[in-house]
Amino acid sequence: MVNEVASVISNYEIASNYWQAILKAPEISRMAKPGQFINILPIKNWPKMMRRPMSIASNEHENISIIYKVVGEGTQYISDWKEGSKVDIIGPLGNTWPEFNDEYPILIGGGVGIAPILYLQDKFSSEGIKHHLIMGAKTGSEHFLEHSPDDGLLLTTDDGTIGIKGTVIRALEAIFHTPSDIRNYRICACGPSPMLNAIKQFASDYSIECFVALETMMACGFGICQGCSIEREQNSDAGSSYRKKYSLACIDGPVFQTNEIKNC
Amino acid sequence: MLTKIELLNHTFKSPILVASGTFGYGDEVAGLIDVNQLGGIITKSVTLEPREGNAPPRIAETSAGMLNSIGLANLGVEKYCHTKLPQLNKLETKVIINIAGFGIDDYVKTLQILENHDGNHAGYEINISCPNVKSGGMQFGVDAVMTESLTSEMRKHTNKLLILKLSPNVTKIEDIAMAAEAGGADMISAINTVVGMGINIHNRKPVLNTVFGGLSGPAIKPIALANVHKIYKAVSVPIIGIGGISTAEDVIEFIMAGADLVQVGTSNFKDPSIGLKITKGLEPLCKTLEVTNIHDLKGTLEYY
Repeated sequence: MVNEVASVISNYEIASNYWQAILKAPEISRMAKPGQFINILPIKNWPKMMRRPMSIASNEHENISIIYKVVGEGTQYISDWKEGSKVDIIGPLGNTWPEFNDEYPILIGGGVGIAPILYLQDKFSSEGIKHHLIMGAKTGSEHFLEHSPDDGLLLTTDDGTIGIKGTVIRALEAIFHTPSDIRNYRICACGPSPMLNAIKQFASDYSIECFVALETMMACGFGICQGCSIEREQNSDAGSSYRKKYSLACIDGPVFQTNEIKNC
Repeated sequence: MLTKIELLNHTFKSPILVASGTFGYGDEVAGLIDVNQLGGIITKSVTLEPREGNAPPRIAETSAGMLNSIGLANLGVEKYCHTKLPQLNKLETKVIINIAGFGIDDYVKTLQILENHDGNHAGYEINISCPNVKSGGMQFGVDAVMTESLTSEMRKHTNKLLILKLSPNVTKIEDIAMAAEAGGADMISAINTVVGMGINIHNRKPVLNTVFGGLSGPAIKPIALANVHKIYKAVSVPIIGIGGISTAEDVIEFIMAGADLVQVGTSNFKDPSIGLKITKGLEPLCKTLEVTNIHDLKGTLEYY
């Protein structure tokens, strides 16, 4: 973990209200692993007390990127970053996705939750590991990838304007209802809580290993403030314990196996 | 050195300490800043037994501040002694261990366990003001008689600095400060967080699971300053000012109001090196204010 002044390489809208900022951050880039995040000071004189944590969406040649939607004051400032802007970031923070041996990856991203999924997908693509990628959005204009089922890339939209109509669960069902010899699927997902809880249930019903990267309110990003607690499933001796009933998303996560947590 | 403070046989490199719960145990930030350049570190509240803390959500952002209701989540004093104390001993800055409890026995046992381990720490900050735990010391923090009993009981068990951290959520903070002084406290820390709440109007739920939480950050600085000044008028022991400090000017305000040292808290979350940045800003300010040592500014507030 370092506090690095990154320099903005580019920052533009890649789909309807979906933005990608590429930052030159050599030190964080050198250390970062898929699943990890950075904690961002949106502007130098940021009047609020919390940085804005965001997953790393890509990492190559000293450059990392984030994908975000403009939803509030912080992301509004971030969308104003210009090429060459200097940005104060802390990272890389958090854990990483599990090691894959012979498991078959199904990667699922919903909304800006696609960010840590794309970074993981980059790793699989560069290592030539076959996988499926599902991306869900409300409508077609929010997608920035092409629906390409033959390549294992499935897009879903709530309104059916692109890809499969419905949630990412429809795409998961499509994969599981297609005859296949693959037995050892493993899901890695990130997105809104309702989507992740639906995937958690699906994985449980089909007895599939499932990992999710969670988003919570967070202040420090490295275990000090204890604000980003996640309730764990196993809490048998929680009577007098620490971080057994509640994990911290920033240092115990953000990646958790779904059978270890109560809710996503 | 304009900013070095000599106090109660201790030398503080600067008046800037980092507040309990905003700097962990000093090791988490190792990659980010040189802790040894700080005046001191107050470690996260430790209790006799480990504690999970409160259910989420535990934090929320407010205008110029944040609400928290962590619930004293911590690893417990035994583990603290075995895993944290050895590395804290290596620090070349003042280490003050913050202790929280639920009854006099609790506080005293925790203190005794810490005293029985080899620690280079300068002292203890006693948290009698956590607003987020049912009977989390708060019954002491709002009652002068109980504050004095607790302080005098703890005084029997340590020769290190004994600092009582007071709550602003009382009618007359001076009464509690005087009780701590009468009980034998070496210093007073003030203030802990101010009780507050927030509501998410879309789901009609409070922003914190526990409904009420503690407000911190620049939003509470005027409240903190008023309380420090009231305490200064009431007691003669040194005071550590806490509450919304994020600039060198803020530090000077607290010292003029009567503080000897200060703690930087919530601002550490935004900028873990804020304490060092503030320290750098103090020297030129001292020159501007024409003092040879920052301590000369203590209580120099002039009324109209």
